[in-house]
Amino acid sequence: MIEVEALHKTYRGGRGLHGFSFHLESNELVGLVGPNGAGKTTLIKILATLIPATSGKARVGGHDVAAEPHLVRAVAGYLPDIAGIYQDLRVKEFLEFFADAFRLKEPKRSAAIQRALDLSGLQDRADEYVENLSLGWKQRLLLAKTLLHEPKLLLLDEPATGLDPLARISLREQLKCLHSEGVAILISSHILSDLEDMCTRILFIADGKNVAEPGGSAVPAEISEARIQCEIGFQGSPEPANQAVGKIPGARVLERKDGFLLIEVPGGAAEASSLLQALLNAGMVVEHFDARGPGLEERYRRAFGERHS
Amino acid sequence: MKRLITNPMINKELRQRLRERRAWLLPTLYLLILAGTVSFAYYMTTDAETRGQREVQGADIGLAIFMTVVFTQIVALLLMAPVFSAGAITIEKEQRTLTGLLTSLLSVTQIWWGKFVAALLYLLLLLLSALPMLALSFAFGGVEPLQLVRATGSTVLVLAAICCIGLWCSATFRRSIHSTAACYGIVLVLSVVTAVVFGILMSHWSNHHILLRGEGPPAYVQAPLFLNPLYPLLSMMDDVDFREFVYPTSSWMLFTAMGCLAAAFAMRRLKRGGDQL
Repeated sequence: MIEVEALHKTYRGGRGLHGFSFHLESNELVGLVGPNGAGKTTLIKILATLIPATSGKARVGGHDVAAEPHLVRAVAGYLPDIAGIYQDLRVKEFLEFFADAFRLKEPKRSAAIQRALDLSGLQDRADEYVENLSLGWKQRLLLAKTLLHEPKLLLLDEPATGLDPLARISLREQLKCLHSEGVAILISSHILSDLEDMCTRILFIADGKNVAEPGGSAVPAEISEARIQCEIGFQGSPEPANQAVGKIPGARVLERKDGFLLIEVPGGAAEASSLLQALLNAGMVVEHFDARGPGLEERYRRAFGERHS
Repeated sequence: MKRLITNPMINKELRQRLRERRAWLLPTLYLLILAGTVSFAYYMTTDAETRGQREVQGADIGLAIFMTVVFTQIVALLLMAPVFSAGAITIEKEQRTLTGLLTSLLSVTQIWWGKFVAALLYLLLLLLSALPMLALSFAFGGVEPLQLVRATGSTVLVLAAICCIGLWCSATFRRSIHSTAACYGIVLVLSVVTAVVFGILMSHWSNHHILLRGEGPPAYVQAPLFLNPLYPLLSMMDDVDFREFVYPTSSWMLFTAMGCLAAAFAMRRLKRGGDQL
């Protein structure tokens, strides 16, 4: 759905993008995290055809964002961090305007407006002026407007900014629901718990480049982040564990106590299963096995902690 | 072409504009000012007779009312045009709504056209509301319908050009206050500076030539005035005082060219509008 290769965007003062690359498949909900000024908004703006890249390649839905912006806008929906809204229009008028702006024709137009009203929960307030809505309702309306033309991709730049916890939960549920319906989503946010809850993958960005964890090399983050920690409760001798760890390349024992081991293996769930299998084959009596990747907060700290220290 | 006519921007802009408080306040003020100047013109014309200067005909009153309305309305509308045009795009930037427009399937031309039509239509509404006052001059006589058509057409052309310039300022600047100030600056240059330059050239020219009544200086001396919004109106007045101004077509062409250039620059700037968001 998104292909970005060595994207550069130069601003005066050095900020922007400096060779950022990534791919997003059509079934993914990807979170984009990084410190302020990392280039998240710039990347999303380029993908939304708002600003041109200085160099590099960016394609959305197979269309080049610079050469075919209209085709990109037809398949993508963009919601900025602080989205403006026409306060002096009624809710329905606002949706009607954007339905026309996206060239929806009857009967699709009416159906899209009705769907947007249902999705935002504003069916009963369709004739109210937008200025009378609370921030949470306005954000729901904006998201519904963004979905009017049924985009295959959503580009969301800190959509939860300023929302109260309930509105944030509601937004998160809406995004999960959209993802389950097949909409690909790229979301930038500082609320790591939300991202952890809903994203299928996280991308780290700093200084306009891909960031590996820890540090700041230009290795795509998703490659280096694939490590999993396994907590193992056992009976008897820990000796079989040494044999098992020795058989898995890159695996290492992080912590060793009586009846407890913390082992890190490269990879994901499959590699964790291999470790368990190897432990059992080596004759270890396993009482408890819990495999989990490091939390997003921890991964964020690893990736960017040095920059702040 | 069809997309320009069935442009959702026009609907939205007119709806928003007519919901503003000034939507009814401005026409009221505008008509009060016109009524005041027409009454004043009527009084001054008829008072000339009471003072025994000359006998006043109905045609004199008609012409006086016509000229007063035509000049007052163009001056008033020139003062209002920057307000409606120079803030049209900057307000979208200030309220952060331009992002929504630029990422929709609306083309830059459609966005510009919607803003332009909405600004011009509101000024035309004011122009139209003054028609009954202009019709007064027909009751007294002395004015031909063709003069009314030419005066109105010329005013519309000048206002359209000023709206284009206002939209260019609006596309260029980030803040309404800056774009409105820049647009007023341009209107001031066109209205006052051109007259001053003409005055200097005229004085230089008249030092070496004798000016006969009813005959004007050559085109190159009048040239700065071609950019003056009042020139086309001066040139069509069938009055001995204005008979020297005989190049309205040059002025119309210049205003058309200015408008087209400003429109092209505005759309170009709007295309890169994402940088300002």
